[in-house]
Amino acid sequence: MALLELQGLTKRYGGIVAVDNVTMSVEPGEVRAVIGPNGAGKTSLFHLITGVVKPTMGEIVFDGQRVTAMPAFSRCQLGMSRTFQITALFPEMSARENTRLAAQARDKQRWRPLGGGAVFAEASRRGDAALERLGLSHVAERQAGLLSHGDQRLLEVAMALAQQPRLLLMDEPTQGLSVEETAQAVEVLGGLFAGGGLTVLLVEHDMEVVFRLASKMTVLHRGSVIADGDPATVKADPVVQDAYLGGYT
Amino acid sequence: MRMTLAVAVLLALLPLGLPPYAMTLLTEALIMGLFAMSLDLMVGYARLISFGHAAAYGLGAYTCGNILLHTDIPLPLAVPMAGVFSGFIGIGIAWVCTQATGVSFSMLTLALAQLLYAVAFKWTSVTGASDGLAGIPRRPGPFGTTYFSTKIGFYYLTMACLFGSFLFARALVRSPFGAVLRGIRENEAKTLSLGYNTRLYKIAVVAASYILGGLAGALYAPFAGFANTELLFWLLSGQVLIMVIVGGTGTLVGPILGAAFFLLVQQQLSTYTDSWALFFGVIFIAFVLFAPEGILGLARRRRSVRSH
Ligand SMILES: Nc1ncnc2c1ncn2[C@@H]1O[C@H](COP(=O)(O)OP(=O)(O)OP(=O)(O)O)[C@@H](O)[C@H]1O
Ligand SMILES: [Mg+2]
Repeated sequence: MALLELQGLTKRYGGIVAVDNVTMSVEPGEVRAVIGPNGAGKTSLFHLITGVVKPTMGEIVFDGQRVTAMPAFSRCQLGMSRTFQITALFPEMSARENTRLAAQARDKQRWRPLGGGAVFAEASRRGDAALERLGLSHVAERQAGLLSHGDQRLLEVAMALAQQPRLLLMDEPTQGLSVEETAQAVEVLGGLFAGGGLTVLLVEHDMEVVFRLASKMTVLHRGSVIADGDPATVKADPVVQDAYLGGYT
Repeated sequence: MRMTLAVAVLLALLPLGLPPYAMTLLTEALIMGLFAMSLDLMVGYARLISFGHAAAYGLGAYTCGNILLHTDIPLPLAVPMAGVFSGFIGIGIAWVCTQATGVSFSMLTLALAQLLYAVAFKWTSVTGASDGLAGIPRRPGPFGTTYFSTKIGFYYLTMACLFGSFLFARALVRSPFGAVLRGIRENEAKTLSLGYNTRLYKIAVVAASYILGGLAGALYAPFAGFANTELLFWLLSGQVLIMVIVGGTGTLVGPILGAAFFLLVQQQLSTYTDSWALFFGVIFIAFVLFAPEGILGLARRRRSVRSH
């Protein structure tokens, strides 16, 4: 059974159809890239899946459960974690505090108003493990807002990972990175996915990155899905060539 | 912890050496300090800027006043009861205000406080309307003791409320709950996307803030012996926000110092001029411009400069 299923998902903003009748699914264990030109509706699709905005039409099913009307924080509690296209973290906290707060969200006692030493200890343990996996241990005590842009992007991934998500959604993890930083990020993420066990939905502009990281691809164009399959097939598809790859790279 | 204990011992010893009028001023400073600290929970830890915190104070004062006037409940019990009641109303107020964020949140807090102010003017049987409640007694007890009715006993009661509240508030901001509040302060959208129901956390911290602010108001009523609509007025809301900012937001201790500083300046300047508020306004602007971290931040900065 698919972990995530989208059925006829549509989002309109006034006259603009940002997401147009999208039907697709994500199987457990796959790393799926969503690609498409600027304004294709990739971020809007992420907002719909995670509950930041509500769809105009269509259904979202996560792990067999209909979540279309569920608020964002509850969907996250079911096991969706995401990173944003524009880095979103807690700039005045240290990197460790960032991942700790992310991990704490998965604790049943996350709201404890007094005491809570055990909650912090467990969350720190998971948070530190996530920092380690992304090679950020050496900057753990640094203030998040003062990290390099590349490290900030990776820190956000570490925060998502610290939540031990069942579905990891990443919106352009290499956005705004230099060539070297991109190479480094691809290295780290590739290692992460190679271990298996993660189910990932990833928006990416950079074709190199997509072909290195993804095992499946969905191509969006003006809000609609125009191709879906493994990267090699999709790349060869004349419709995709025409709409995206030809004009872009 | 050692610092807290030292300050507690110092404050506990002060009555031995101070003249009565100074005791009165000190007691008022502790009450105001508690009030300012309660607002810091919202402003300093969750960036919930309230323009209507007098609501908590007035609710506590009127509730405690009514309990003491119309029942035999002793003073040391009436005060926390009024605080808890204020907290309950705070939940309702927070439920309304957290529908909005940012400036709109602040405007809603102001609007609801003014609504309570208007109600206090009309609801004569409970609030005494424009006359207010007068002759609020300090009922003796529990166990027949009259100690808390005395000037010194009342001072120690106030001190106990302030320290109890401080220890509670400090535990709160250091807990997992407090960590989520800091998340909301720095990036609410991200905190939400991590899976926290941020609105619930905000309502909870407003309720806690109202309990402690209500406690302060509840102490003020038997301290002054009266409660009137001024305790719900926007002027007080503005003053307490100034105390928090001048003292240093997000520190708990800073706002207590800010309140004491405010009262001291008010007391000193008002003997010379009626427009003392103008001078305090200048002081406030100076703080915002040159020492936005407040009195406590200034003190810490000087200490770290000296130790280097
Ligand atoms: N809140 C909104 N209100 C109105 N229009 C919106 C809103 N959000 C997105 N849109 C529009 O929806 C379309 C899809 O935007 P979206 O951000 O999803 O694209 P994208 O594929 O993520 O693009 P990019 O590659 O630039 O990140 C765009 O035309 C955008 O202008
Ligand atoms: Mg986008």
